[in-house]
Amino acid sequence: MARRRKPLAQKGRDDDVRIIAGFVLGSILTVIMLLVVIIAPPATIGPSEGELAPDFSADAYNGVNWQNFKLSDTFDYEWEEGEDGEWILVQFIDTDCPYCWSEGETMSDLYSQWSGSVEFITVTVELSINNHDSDRAEVEAFRDKTSYGTEDNDGDGCNSGRNNCINRPGTAHNWNYIEGSSSIMKDWEVSGTPFLAILKPDGYVAWNQYENSGEDIESAMQRLVGGSQ
Amino acid sequence: MNEALTDPVLIAFFLGLVVSSYLMFVDNGKKTSMLLMSSLSFAMVGIISSAYTYIIHNKMVVQGSTSFCSSEGIVQCGSVIGDPEWNNLFGVPWGIFGILSFSVLIFLSLCLYLDRHAKWSEDYLNYSWWAGIAGLPFVALLVIIELTQVEDAPHICPFCTIAHISLIGYVGSIYFLKIRRNMGKWSENEG
Repeated sequence: MARRRKPLAQKGRDDDVRIIAGFVLGSILTVIMLLVVIIAPPATIGPSEGELAPDFSADAYNGVNWQNFKLSDTFDYEWEEGEDGEWILVQFIDTDCPYCWSEGETMSDLYSQWSGSVEFITVTVELSINNHDSDRAEVEAFRDKTSYGTEDNDGDGCNSGRNNCINRPGTAHNWNYIEGSSSIMKDWEVSGTPFLAILKPDGYVAWNQYENSGEDIESAMQRLVGGSQ
Repeated sequence: MNEALTDPVLIAFFLGLVVSSYLMFVDNGKKTSMLLMSSLSFAMVGIISSAYTYIIHNKMVVQGSTSFCSSEGIVQCGSVIGDPEWNNLFGVPWGIFGILSFSVLIFLSLCLYLDRHAKWSEDYLNYSWWAGIAGLPFVALLVIIELTQVEDAPHICPFCTIAHISLIGYVGSIYFLKIRRNMGKWSENEG
């Protein structure tokens, strides 16, 4: 009597196709990444000299109101070395930091000398220190030199609450004050304030304070941007 | 008609989606093979469109604008891929995430296509399913960002949308494959 055969379940191939699939995928990825590098090579982005400055988009106070500000909107991508163009001075401050308080005067002096050829940008951040909380009203008062807080060391006002913002050294600052964030600080690798960097008109970092401890900002501006007004 | 929608590259991607969808729904007696090809095709359109968004990203960063995609109107890339606050996740451009994610999906689908009767095939089908599902919340997040968060929102980035639809299509084709597997129609001669 003939025995009925059980239908056989279909078996897979003997070779492990996963290795073949891996090679095929590797080839696809290689072609794709080669095309990306040929068509649009990624830029080196960072705060170090020679790198493209990290872009940010945030609200900015211009002396009248708060509006969106994008750093890269100030870049002149057509600019070439040796041409005239508007350089960019980026400053990071905390309105409660004593060094930022005294640097207010330096910034006023720099602005009076280079405002025609340099775009000034101040990014305000909050360091994680007691009495370093600041709100928009404090930032506005710091920039405009208007009354905010008291001269008593009571935590109210600028400079860790030691001073009324109206008494900040220097004149009122007539440039954008950006509402910074921890992610902008991280992108710019800012570990403390104040921090300064000079950008070329095309957005590449020309001078970073951390990399030039022997050169002050005035000398750097003179060397890079040229004669003051 | 919006200039961005008549871009020849966008039309090519759209045709890729049409072909992938056709493979998903065509019934020619080799349904399992067609569905596996459909999943592969969706993943290929996804990886290429992700790479294209990464190219646009690099162009935007270095040149501020690009001829690869419009920067005006509601349907555009400039305000989406060019927004430094939302065009990356932990500093990594979304295009890179897309390339890596679709690489995983291509690998899984390709393995299944080459040997659907292997011992690991059921596991790989499940991995494909869960990997595709895992990407859907990111698609939802990116659509919300486009519509509500980027500068002058709402905007729709057409090439990003191609990648999003590719993932949804991939999940769809894997879903139909799972149904076939569960109904015992995994082999062509069984269904």
